[in-house]
Amino acid sequence: MLAYSLRWEHRLGTEGASIEITLADGRVIRSDSTYGVLNRLQTIPSAHLRASPTDRDYAVQELFAFFVSWLNVFPGAVLNPPTPQGLSGQWRHASEWVVLAARAGLPSLPYRQTSHDKIDTSRLIGRLVPRDTPVQTVIVVGGHVVGSNVSPEIAEGCKRLAEIVNTPLLGVEFTSGLAGHWTFAGATPLPDLTLGGQALLDVLARVLKAEKEVK
Amino acid sequence: MVRGELDKLGLPYAIFNQREFDHAHMSFEISGKRVTGQLRIRSNTYNLEDFVGVYTRLMDDQLLPEIRHEPPDSQRRRYCRALHDTLIRWCEVARARVVNRAEPMGSNYSKPYQLQLIRDQGFAVPETLITNDPDLVREFLGKHGRIVYKSISSVRSIVQVLKDDDLERLDRIRWCPVQFQRYVEGNNVRVHTLGKKTFATAIFTSVTDYRYASRVEGGTVEMKPMTLPTELAERCVRLGEALKLDFAGIDLKITPDNKVFCLEVNPSPAFSFYEANTGQPIARALARYLAGLD
Repeated sequence: MLAYSLRWEHRLGTEGASIEITLADGRVIRSDSTYGVLNRLQTIPSAHLRASPTDRDYAVQELFAFFVSWLNVFPGAVLNPPTPQGLSGQWRHASEWVVLAARAGLPSLPYRQTSHDKIDTSRLIGRLVPRDTPVQTVIVVGGHVVGSNVSPEIAEGCKRLAEIVNTPLLGVEFTSGLAGHWTFAGATPLPDLTLGGQALLDVLARVLKAEKEVK
Repeated sequence: MVRGELDKLGLPYAIFNQREFDHAHMSFEISGKRVTGQLRIRSNTYNLEDFVGVYTRLMDDQLLPEIRHEPPDSQRRRYCRALHDTLIRWCEVARARVVNRAEPMGSNYSKPYQLQLIRDQGFAVPETLITNDPDLVREFLGKHGRIVYKSISSVRSIVQVLKDDDLERLDRIRWCPVQFQRYVEGNNVRVHTLGKKTFATAIFTSVTDYRYASRVEGGTVEMKPMTLPTELAERCVRLGEALKLDFAGIDLKITPDNKVFCLEVNPSPAFSFYEANTGQPIARALARYLAGLD
């Protein structure tokens, strides 16, 4: 829908910033009348761009930079705000997550990397364990924790981690390890929301409808 | 320049030349909050935890001349990538002062996003419109009289004044939004912040974007050191800190009535250009900062 928007108007200045988008079906999205954004964007819509490969690459980078800016102007809750390292929140390498988890008080698997290693793409998206490893996911939503059988210590650690990384919607993964069943195994700004069931939906609704802050 | 200053200060250092990747090896390990590891360059081995400062000026390792003719999946090309990946990952988690870490440098990838962060630190910023609607651009031009257009991203980022013949091709923006800004009259000032220190340089130029004056026929640039008012210097330092940049190049414009606008923060400032033209001791300050002396 966004890819084929008829009109984009993004303004910013010393007094503030705004966005107004006229969609192809005529509806208008305005930042001053939008309360709460659930941002699940992963890529920039670009199929409509007709250009040489070089110019097309440039246009995609321009659109990415544009989306990072306009998604940042909504006054209410944005889950998650965009960053230059990810449209729906910052993607971090697994090595960074290990250090951050330790700062948040979460026991973690150790991490090791050498220049002789083959680059592991799963580490690029914050996973410390192979894809098929069973993990338990705890989801933090605006300071609330959703998950099964989560101890108070782990819940507080997850909340601290989300706060440290400024990512209000954060999926925190755990596996069995040196610290027992709750050994930190990775984190993602784009958690699978189906894992949280109705409890997660209720929390999401509460957070997205919360009073809008002045930006 | 930084190497020369480290020599004058008598401080030990190691240089990793990307082009000699074949002769380097690196590994690191994280356990809890502790990061340890080793870097080997030819016959010299260094413990990573002994480094107190790191200054990175890396180019894209896949464009190095040494691997230009390597097949896409050659072992040598893969090793080059893996070595650089290990170095970059370690830089992000090292306890040393890293100038600058990759993550905070990202704010410059989106100019209007960075402008919002700049505004949040109390700086005036130019009125900006990003749109695909030519009528909005004409209205913006009518309001401000003189406007510029520039990239939204950090790619092909050259500032141009919107001229009459540009108006004839304005319909092209319907394909992809373009960034327009009110042209701010006044003098350019580049402020390099390094920790709590500032180095301000006044720039006098005959062109719109002084960085590319040599590309414009008759284009001139002159630079002079200047002293900022204390409050402005402190605000610049806070801006660098807010953007988590140990070393930043802040571009200001000071209007004839002394209003200060901030246009951009460069996370990888080419400070040598300014030092060569003014003699400001930025390299020395950087050497001292890396060594933890300031």
